[in-house]
Parts: sequence; structure tokens; C-alpha cells
Amino acid sequence: MTAAIAAGRPDWDALATRARKRRRATTALLYCVLVLGSLPVVVPYLWLLTVAVSGRMGASTVVLWRTLAVVMPALVLWSILRLAVEDARRLRLFEFSLGAVTLLVLGAVIGPYLHADNFRFLWNANIADTLKGAGGVGNRYPSVWVAFGNSLMLAGTQMVLVVVTSTFAGYYLSRFDFRGRGGYLKGLLILHAFPAMSLIVPIFLIMYWVGLMDTLTGVVLVIVALELPFAIFVMKGFFDAVPWDIEMSAMTDGASRRQAFFLVVLPQVKVGMIAVAVFAFLRGWEEYVFVRTLIFANSNWTMSLYLFWMQDDIMGTDYAMVSAMGLFYVLPSIVLYTLCQKYLTQMSVGGIKG
Amino acid sequence: MAKIELRRVAKSWGEVAAVEPTDLTIGDGEFVAILGPSGCGKSTTLFMLAGIYTPTGGDILFDGQRVNDVEARDRNVGIVFQSYALYPNMSVRDNILFPLRFKDVDKAAAAARADAAARLVQVHELMDRRPGQLSGGQQQRVALARALVKEPQLLLLDEPLSNLDASLRLTMRSEIRSLQRKLGVTTLLVTHDQIEATTMADRVICMSRGRIEQVGTAEDLYHRPNSVFVAGFIGSPPINLLACSVDAGTLRVGEAKLRATGGAGECVLGVRPESVALGTGPFRGRVGDLEPHGRETIYHLETALGPLRALEAGASARFRLGDEVSFAISATLLFDARTTRRIEGAGADMPA
Repeated sequence: MTAAIAAGRPDWDALATRARKRRRATTALLYCVLVLGSLPVVVPYLWLLTVAVSGRMGASTVVLWRTLAVVMPALVLWSILRLAVEDARRLRLFEFSLGAVTLLVLGAVIGPYLHADNFRFLWNANIADTLKGAGGVGNRYPSVWVAFGNSLMLAGTQMVLVVVTSTFAGYYLSRFDFRGRGGYLKGLLILHAFPAMSLIVPIFLIMYWVGLMDTLTGVVLVIVALELPFAIFVMKGFFDAVPWDIEMSAMTDGASRRQAFFLVVLPQVKVGMIAVAVFAFLRGWEEYVFVRTLIFANSNWTMSLYLFWMQDDIMGTDYAMVSAMGLFYVLPSIVLYTLCQKYLTQMSVGGIKG
Repeated sequence: MAKIELRRVAKSWGEVAAVEPTDLTIGDGEFVAILGPSGCGKSTTLFMLAGIYTPTGGDILFDGQRVNDVEARDRNVGIVFQSYALYPNMSVRDNILFPLRFKDVDKAAAAARADAAARLVQVHELMDRRPGQLSGGQQQRVALARALVKEPQLLLLDEPLSNLDASLRLTMRSEIRSLQRKLGVTTLLVTHDQIEATTMADRVICMSRGRIEQVGTAEDLYHRPNSVFVAGFIGSPPINLLACSVDAGTLRVGEAKLRATGGAGECVLGVRPESVALGTGPFRGRVGDLEPHGRETIYHLETALGPLRALEAGASARFRLGDEVSFAISATLLFDARTTRRIEGAGADMPA
């Protein structure tokens, strides 16, 4: 090659072939790394899914291995297809058939094992009676829907408080100068870096003194306080990206500052508000440490506590049902993520795209 | 429509003075431009008139009434921002209707007025689009319609054309000008583009470092600049400014001596590029560089006076690189180097 260039006549065909080969090798390598890298993440979820829909009294992993045995070769085949077939229409056809075949084989191999029995907690309120080895424990467990409602309440209230507060605070920090503004901003970052665990004892004591122990309200307030610094920072970033001109324009057009804020500025940080809302909701939904510390009565259990007590308190855990409940627990998060994906990706360190 | 007066109006940010105490009157229906480099206080002046900034001194009067403490939203002023500042979440119609929301106008009348304003600037066919779906020129027109729909007593234009491409700028320039004539609205344009200022406005205010340098017509500013700054800022290609000294009727510039009328001591000699006539004359120089522009040619001459820019009309260049040429100068301006003010009636165009 170098010789050809040195001779003054570069061999374009050879160079092109080499570039093509290299491109293909890079892609192949990329696929390998991605597949290997995602396996440790995907397999636990797959375990949860397969056990939840097929396990009977225990964590039988037959279905998991069978599923992997079908899915892995299909994945490899798909990667090869994507590398080998260049024509887009033929590729789509191949992909479609591959998907259909995989589903058929999967159905044949694991179909007989599938059942919905593990989800009985959804309609049977007295779950304790159906737990293995729980005979005589009696009616100790509330319905799972109570915990679901509590979690929803906790995450929802917390989300509303965080979004409203961080929006106003972010706007003020972005637009107004006041004494100690720089210090305040630094303080927000330091607070965010502070490990919340270290506050658990003082928070426990404070909750006890103000009488919010064993209430959802108490937990909501604690999480809001811990979530706010970062949320305010993110919202400030979104407000920073809204040009001054627009506000000035609205005010010379006859709007008051408040009207300008609601009519003109707020619609432009909608994406930021959605992103903050989603993260706040998920934070509340997954909360475990503070509900574990501050909540006792089982009527106040959230989903995470319910899951914990259910797997912990009964002799001989029913892993199949725990998995089913785990699936039930992550479902809202997955749905929310999927729906709001396009907003979340726009939240870098607070900025508006387009 | 209103007559606008500024009496000793000043604005400072802490220690830094953005606008020095300034007096200015804009007549009813007049089109005035403030021209100056960035940071000269022209936009600050505009924002004070709009009510976005509060002056730190002096009085602003609309039709003789002091409005210093009147809020922006009550001043009935229309602004077109450099960025247009359209509301991205609203359609063009809602953008134009926005100022009327806060006025006592019933819905049908508001719609009619918005439609009329849109027609005026020819965006009536884009009413349902979002600002993001418009080209720069269209956004500019919508911003203009939004500023005009409230029938403002004062229209403020903040660098309205600088985000447009060259040909569109030319069209919008004359469109805004004729629109202003038609509506007779008192208008203040703020710009750093001298051509924009001189072609559009009845009067141009040249500002520098928070101070008004000169107020006048394009012709005043070009031929009778008050100061070295105005002479240097107005005109493209820029004027030749040569440091010199005058002693008893003799002006020394570079290695040359000229016969001076007026002036004494350290001075600055200004020669417009088109006042350097090539071909014949008492001075000699060498062509160091030349820029053909098609319609004209700009020569960079090395002369005994110092480096000189000369502008010659004509499609093709008469001289080439390295040519020795004779030339004459005329219509020279002489400034006092210390005060930078122009010395009335002084000049020097013949060798001593």
C-alpha cells in the first residue's frame, strides 16, 4: 500500500477493500462486546421473569437455561445477519423470519412450563395463607394492593413536591442575583454528594421528636429533602438555557413577571420538569432504607418493605412468588422509563436540545 | 405615536457606567438609529426606553410625561429583538395575539388586528406554524407583526437584521423603512451596521463608550464627522487616519510636508479612500496590494505620507502590484489629536 502511494499511484481498490474489512471487523467486535457486556445485566432480569412465570414452589432454573439456549444462538445469528446482509429489505425479511422461528422454538421448549399461579397474590388478599410453611401464621399480611397504593402515594407525593419546589427554586437561582447565591449553588452540590446513610440516626430522632415516625408523610419529607438539591440544580440548568429575550419580550408585550413565567418560560422547561419528575418518582418507588427505618405498621408498608417481609419472615421462602412480586414491582418503573425515554435522554447536566 | 425625550439619562452597573448622562429627543413619527460598536451603550439605552432597565439618573419622557417608574408592560412599546424572541411554544397566530391578551380587546377584534398585522408583513399564510418551522426572514416578520399589533407609541428595533443573510437584509431594510413611513410610528433602531443605520433612519446617533458622539444625517456623519471616532467608524473601506503635526502652516506627516489650512500642534489627518485620486497629482506612491471588488478596486499604497487606502471606481484595475503611481488628495479632514475633535475648515491637500 505504502509502496503504491510512494510510487505515486495509490491502489484505490485495495485501499477500499481494506477499509471495508476494517469497518466490518470493528462492527463484529462491537457486537461481541455489547452482547458480553449486557449479559450480566440481562440474565438476572431474565431469571426473575422466567421463575415468575414458571417456577413452582422454589426457584427452578430449567426454563432460564432453556430460554438462554434458544435466545443466545438467535442473537449470534442475528449479529451475523446484520453484518453479512447489506440490502435493507432482505435484512428486514431475514430478521422477521429469525424472530418468528425463535419465538416458535421458545414456545415449544418452555411453553408447557408456563403458568400464572405465582401471581395469585394479586387477587388473593390473604397471601400469608398460601405461602409455603405459613400454615397457622394467620392474617399477618395486608393485601399487596395496600403496599402498592402506599408506594404510589409515597412516590407520587414526593414527585409533586420535588418538581414544584425545584422548578420555582431553579427559576429563582437562574434569574435573580442575591447575596450568597454562589455559596448556595455550591452548597447544593455538596449536599448532593453527601451520603444520605450517614444521616439516618439524626433523621430517626427528628422524626421521633416531631411525631412523624411510622407515617408516609415523614418518609416523603425526608426523601424530598434529599432529592431537592440535585433536582434544583438540574432545573436551574434548564432555565439557564431559556433566553432572557423571551421573558423581556413577554413583559414589554404587557405580561407581568408571573404571567411571563407561566405563559412563556415554563412551557420551555417542560422537558426538564418531566425528567425531574420521572427520576423523583422512581427514587420514591425504589425507596427502601428510609421506609425500613421509619415505618413499622404493616398497613404503611411500601412495595419494597412488602417484598422484604414476605421473603424474609416465612420459613422456606417461596422464590417463585417472590419473583412474581418482584416483577410486579419493577413493571411500573419499566413502563415509566419506556414512555419518558426521549425526555430523560435530554437531561445531560441540565440543558435543552433543539 | 409619541415624542420621546431623554434628559440627562444615565445607567451604570455598580461602578461601571454603561451610559453617561445623555440628552436626546426623538420627534413624533421619526425614525432614528443609534449606531455604535458593541458595548457602547446603545442596547442599554434601548432597554431603558422599553422599561426593562431603570435609569440610574435623569428622566425619560414620553410626550412630556415622565415614565421612569412606569413598568415595561404599561409603556406600550413594541420591541423586535436580535434573536426575534418568538415564543416557541405558540403558533405564529398566538405569538402575534400575545400582546393583545393583556389589553382590553375582544376576541374578534383581536383576531382581526392580528390578521391585519400579519398581512402587513406578509406572514398571513403561516399563521398556524410554529416559530421553529419558519426561516429566519419569516421569524423576523412575525416578530415585527407582534411588535406592531399593539399599535405601539414607540417601536424599538434591536439589531433586527443581523441574523439574516445578506440579500434578505437588503429586502427587509427597505421593507421596514417603508412600513415605518406608512404607519408613522416613532422608531428607534439600534445597530452596529452603518449601512443599516444610514439607509433606514432619518437621523443617526453615533455612540461610543456610553456617550453620544454625534447626531446627524448620513451626510453629516460622513462628510462632517465631529470626532476621530465618528470618522473612523463611518465609511467602508474606512478612512485613512494619519498622525501628524502642524506648525505655522506646515503639516508634517510621515516623511512628507503639506501646506495646512488651520490646525496647530499634534493632529490627525483624515483622508477618505475615494478622495485619493490616482493617475496624476503632486504625490507619488507604490501599489503594495490591491483588492479587486468588481465594481471598484481598493489599492493599498505605500507613500511618503504613510500607508494609504485608495478607492477607484471602474470594473478593471488600472494599476498592478508594484506600480509607481502619482496621486492627488482632496477633501481632507483635520482633527486635534488631544481632544480628537475635528478642526472646522482645516485640512491639507497640497505639498509644502
